[in-house]
Amino acid sequence: MKVAERYTDAELISAISSEKDLNPAIHFLYQQYSGATRSFIMSYGGSEQDADDVFQETVVAFIDTVKKGKYRQESSVKTFLASVAKHVWFNDLKKKERAGFREKQYESTRDHEEQDVSHQIGDLEQKQQLRDLLLQLGEACQKVLLLFYYENLSMKEIVDHLPYENEQVVRNKKYKCLQQLTGLIKANPVIAGQLNELIK
Amino acid sequence: MSLHQSNALIDHLDSHFNADAPSRFTPEQKEEMQRLIAEDEDVAREWNYLQLAVEAVHDAGLNKQVKAVRKEWEAQSATAPEQDTTTAPDTQEGGIVRNLYRNVMRVAACALLVAGGAAIFKYVRLSSSSLYSDYYNSYDLNTSRGAANQEAIEQAYSTKNWNQVLALFTTGSDRNNKTDFLAGMADLELKKFDDAIAHFEQIIATNSQSHDDYFGDEAEYYLAISWLGKNKINEAMPTLEKIRKNKNHKYYEQVNKMSFTDLRLTQYKENK
Repeated sequence: MKVAERYTDAELISAISSEKDLNPAIHFLYQQYSGATRSFIMSYGGSEQDADDVFQETVVAFIDTVKKGKYRQESSVKTFLASVAKHVWFNDLKKKERAGFREKQYESTRDHEEQDVSHQIGDLEQKQQLRDLLLQLGEACQKVLLLFYYENLSMKEIVDHLPYENEQVVRNKKYKCLQQLTGLIKANPVIAGQLNELIK
Repeated sequence: MSLHQSNALIDHLDSHFNADAPSRFTPEQKEEMQRLIAEDEDVAREWNYLQLAVEAVHDAGLNKQVKAVRKEWEAQSATAPEQDTTTAPDTQEGGIVRNLYRNVMRVAACALLVAGGAAIFKYVRLSSSSLYSDYYNSYDLNTSRGAANQEAIEQAYSTKNWNQVLALFTTGSDRNNKTDFLAGMADLELKKFDDAIAHFEQIIATNSQSHDDYFGDEAEYYLAISWLGKNKINEAMPTLEKIRKNKNHKYYEQVNKMSFTDLRLTQYKENK
């Protein structure tokens, strides 16, 4: 097996913040911390699939928090990840409760630290909703937007990746796709409501 | 907002997003755009929607990247043992190391099996009533006063004559939290959990009205134990959690010695 790079907490934060070599950092997070999360989720009645999904969500939330400079480094990465995983899992259970699952038994085990991370990682449910909206776009739109806004490719580089004639065609496509996505967001009553509240 | 304005806003966003990208705006045009966002509510709203859209793309991209690495990591983890068996024959020195490694792994696997078996056994065995058996301790009545001065109910309790305790409680007219508690404990000894619970709850209710704490801590602890005996861990947990958080509680030490992992596991098992 390929040996993952080893990082101290500070090196890990630095690797994620600089966005260079993000993949080895993610690999390290999985190798080092996924086991503990898996045990935790399964001890609380989750399946292996639940555990995998929760840890993925946890890693995404952690990286996003670090990239946005919101990670306060008051606790170790291990403790922070455990708190985020708890937060994600209890929120999942809450959602299941809405669908008839009984989860009140777990409420008493929510600790201060786990609730505190929620301020750092933001509204995960809203992020999930936004992600779902993006999936409603066609594949071509998703690709253009991801290549430009996530991969940071220039119009010229995108022309090399996708079957478009020239940069202007890609630019027009990107306008349309982004407007389509904002249209979907506007049509989502929950998210639109939250935004309108912010602007007032 | 017109399509032209919307596209201009997107270009402005892109220049924010990527400072190195060539901008089609002059510094004055940029300033004008900023002013519009600050002053025009429609433009501000559109600007926020665009930022949210880009945020969504970011989040989806990161998710995709993490998922891809996760898949790669899972594949590597899954193929690791196969790679061991397909390697070329060992050199003598390497072979010794490898054999040692294999033996260590075998011992580790056996230990894991034993631990796994123990965990399964423990899980199967866990129940409220098993926890009740583990955690129940009889209450020792403080007999600092001379035996001759003990009231009849205390004497009956000290001699473990549980039925006599209950009879004296029923016929006695001088009831207080102490007699209620002793009757509750006698019920608990006789495994009459409902009756015990009624006595302990009576004490808690009395204290709550009188703002007193006479036999309050004792009643709370044994109430939780009674709920365990009755196989109702959900009812026991809030009280145990409450005691666990209160260092001044008389039963703080006892409750802190309890395994909350076992308690929660039992809770999970019985709520499934």
